[in-house]
Amino acid sequence: MLSELNSDLEEIVTRVRRSLVHVHNGRRGAGSGTIWHADGLIVTNAHVVGHGPIKVELPDGRTFPAQILARDVEQDLAALRLEGIGLADLPTIQLGDSRMLRPGEWVVALGYPWGVEGAATAGIVIGMSARQPETPGNGRDWISLSLHLRPGHSGGPLVDAQGRLVGINTMINGPDVGVAIPTHVAIAFLKGALVGHYR
Amino acid sequence: MSQTLTDLSTALAAAVETAGASVVRVEARRRMPASGIVWSADGLIVTAHHVVEQDDNIGIGLPDGGSATASLVGRDPSTDLALLRIQARGLRPAPWIDAGALKVGHLALALGRPNESIMATLGIVSALSKGWRTPAGGELDTYLQSDVVMYPGFSGGPLVSAAGEVMGVNSSALLRGVSLAIPAATVQQVVETLLTHGRVRRGYLGVSAQVVRLPAGLAQQIDQETGLLLGSVEPGSPAERAGLFMGDTIVTLDGQPVRHLDDLLALLSGERVGASVTVRIVRGGQVTDVPVTIGEQA
Repeated sequence: MLSELNSDLEEIVTRVRRSLVHVHNGRRGAGSGTIWHADGLIVTNAHVVGHGPIKVELPDGRTFPAQILARDVEQDLAALRLEGIGLADLPTIQLGDSRMLRPGEWVVALGYPWGVEGAATAGIVIGMSARQPETPGNGRDWISLSLHLRPGHSGGPLVDAQGRLVGINTMINGPDVGVAIPTHVAIAFLKGALVGHYR
Repeated sequence: MSQTLTDLSTALAAAVETAGASVVRVEARRRMPASGIVWSADGLIVTAHHVVEQDDNIGIGLPDGGSATASLVGRDPSTDLALLRIQARGLRPAPWIDAGALKVGHLALALGRPNESIMATLGIVSALSKGWRTPAGGELDTYLQSDVVMYPGFSGGPLVSAAGEVMGVNSSALLRGVSLAIPAATVQQVVETLLTHGRVRRGYLGVSAQVVRLPAGLAQQIDQETGLLLGSVEPGSPAERAGLFMGDTIVTLDGQPVRHLDDLLALLSGERVGASVTVRIVRGGQVTDVPVTIGEQA
């Protein structure tokens, strides 16, 4: 049974890494991002983007400049669009229903902690609500996670036991607790922010 | 991909849901609320002593979203347990599992309800051993340590098995930096005592002491290498009334050897409260017997 668990985890990590990108913002630090649409729409945190020129590195090693389509500091979300040729069928990630997440469910977070490529950390959902401890009280839901987010995980995907996107890794709340923005909050952000920009 | 990870995830969430139906919010301190466990359908709630800073008007948040006001039945600082009562019927008492059925490596979930909704962290049982005395002198049936993260407000909540049974009451106050749970057997015993007497009696001497090595000749004479050197004697305490002084070294109490602080704490049990016992001390190199009437710890 444990070896089945191992291969399930391995498969999820392999699959999700295809949609994980490394976001460079011109400063020393950098973060992660998640491919949202096959033609180069990337979702990440506003604090990852900063103000400088942005370069995004894909898992296949290609690097593209990116334009900021929308940035909301209060929600800590940003939408980027890669600029270049050959951006038609990037590997997207299957969306999960973050509203259905229950405390205790297994989750895996991927990103570039301290710049380490595609690193994974796993744990469970502690809880989800608009009133999680130590989160900005902006009325929107947050997911608290019992896993080890580190600087550089921000903007990367949080997936459930089936590898479906349920959140965007966003904050560290002590060494053992991470905080993510649920997918349904990110969807609402994209819908609001991209009117007129995108489809 | 196999279903194993999905099944594990579903089973963990189900265990949280099952046990979570017995986890309440306890509002009895100025800081963040803590958690408690439904002990009986008619309103008894077990929680951690250190999160209950008031005896009345304790707010309880129920799993169904309702609220109630609890009063304190009693508390035992030595095991960090408190028992509360609300006027209620039809609560769901938690199913308990005895520490004897646990093994190091078993999955363990810590549950808490500092807000409205249930929260959970995951780890494994890290250490199990028979019997342990807390720094405050309480006796735990089993030393039950896990590596679960104790989120703020989790104290007083349950450590839960993969099947949703409660292994113990989580306390972040018994040992700093270590996730300890007070095991089911100890909780059962303390609850019964608190229901009967309202408190758990502990003996009291009124001294501070440290372990000292006895002079070689003396050690050989009484067949004991160490004793407890008194650093201070509290005014008005049983020790002072008996004529014990700073600088005395206790070597036995009621005929039992006192080699370490643990020995003294174990001997100051509830049954000895009010009893006159012989304390053997070393004073100025001489062994002397002093009768002491053991007091009760407030």
